[in-house]
Amino acid sequence: MLSLIQTEFLKLKRKKFIWFMFIPALLMPLVAVLYFKAGSQVDLTPIKFYRWTAFSYTTWLILPFVLGMLITMLVYQEVENNLLTQLWIVPVGKLRFIISKFCVMWLYSICFMLICASGSIVIGSVSGLIEITNTSVLNLILKCLEIGALLPFGMIPILALATTQKGYILPVSTTIVYIFFGFILLMGNMYLHPLSSVIGILMRNIEGVVMKDPVQIWKALLSIALWSGSSIALAINVLRKGKVV
Amino acid sequence: MTLYLWAERLKLKRSNIFKIAIFSTIIIAAIVFMQGQFIYYGERYIDEPEWYLTAIQSLGSFYVFPAIIALMGTYIICRENQDDTLKSLVLIPVSISKMLIAKLLMTAFYSLLLYGFVFLIALTVELSLHFSLLNLNTILNNFKMYLLTGIGFFLAVSPIITLVYKLKGSHWLALIFAEVFAFLGLFASMQSTLRAIYPITAVFNISGYYEATSSEIILSLISLILCGTVSILFIMRFNKNSSKV
Repeated sequence: MLSLIQTEFLKLKRKKFIWFMFIPALLMPLVAVLYFKAGSQVDLTPIKFYRWTAFSYTTWLILPFVLGMLITMLVYQEVENNLLTQLWIVPVGKLRFIISKFCVMWLYSICFMLICASGSIVIGSVSGLIEITNTSVLNLILKCLEIGALLPFGMIPILALATTQKGYILPVSTTIVYIFFGFILLMGNMYLHPLSSVIGILMRNIEGVVMKDPVQIWKALLSIALWSGSSIALAINVLRKGKVV
Repeated sequence: MTLYLWAERLKLKRSNIFKIAIFSTIIIAAIVFMQGQFIYYGERYIDEPEWYLTAIQSLGSFYVFPAIIALMGTYIICRENQDDTLKSLVLIPVSISKMLIAKLLMTAFYSLLLYGFVFLIALTVELSLHFSLLNLNTILNNFKMYLLTGIGFFLAVSPIITLVYKLKGSHWLALIFAEVFAFLGLFASMQSTLRAIYPITAVFNISGYYEATSSEIILSLISLILCGTVSILFIMRFNKNSSKV
């Protein structure tokens, strides 16, 4: 399993544009600076600034979209270069194949959030908007690590869909709709959707973020487990039938 | 040019991109309808006349439709590379600039169709809920707004779509940029001058979704014309370098 994951990372080394996909991590820190510089800076605390830079749209929309695109691209390029056939010949187990892709997505997500955290600290302090304190920096980094580590679990259904498709149009369109649905459900019944369930867990203890109802972690975890388990089972079934080679 | 358009139409008939776009639109319409069930100050959003007509347009336009339009455009352009048909086309020889213009015109047409379809769904829902409160003037005004938004969004994302021809293997980046570009409109809409200049929000100024002064409308027009001009400049540049394919 470890060698399979290592191979995945070796393949990533050849894809230079992967680095460019980290650029959106700095988007919200820049937007936050422009917003607070243009408007009122009264009562601007580090947590309020970080809420803008890392805990809002970056978590709700930007990171899920980047992860959806990343995973679709990784799987599609395997199909395009006829690598899947060779992987099945080795043979590589279908579940192991999906797990190896998930590991790439998981590590990418953590790196993305760490870049976002670093960007928030640097941009916030250079612009003079916030005072950097050890506690606020530590809290930001820990929360970003938590977001980076948990959010990919909400994207497992997209990973499962991508592995069952020869093309990229359906996974990309589904990613767009899926993220939008998760975003809307945050203020409704978040437990219907795995992504909104993950975001619910992440937002439960952020100062100043008010959810409609208190987050019930067990319900959210159950939703994530059900969606992830069933989508992976379906994907393995499709892969076993040999429809995607 | 007619021949190029005819060829593009035939190529698209074999693809299911538009069917997937339509399916995504139906799902988005259902999600927005679901959001309309949320209660705000004791009243459901959907109970307010014209809420659905405006909500689907604004939510869809900031989060979903520009990315779908960019996906259609990038797919139409990228498939020549992916299917390895570009070399054969250059051998014929086909004018790269004419081919790209035909592809852009097809994207513009599909963008219009997509918004026309969204309008049809929104109108059906509104008529079934508030038949007696809607008048012909409101319907025609909204129809004009949707069509202008459709063509405006195509112009706004056209430089990104055109750039894809050069990005080739990295066309995934274009999709991420298109989504981020649309989503930034949320923040650009907070300031009137920026709202008039930023292409995504400029579309709303021109379509009449935002109330705008005549100078703001002129600024918005200039912004969108600039987007179109940049796309044409890219195409002319690509044509010069077509021998390097």
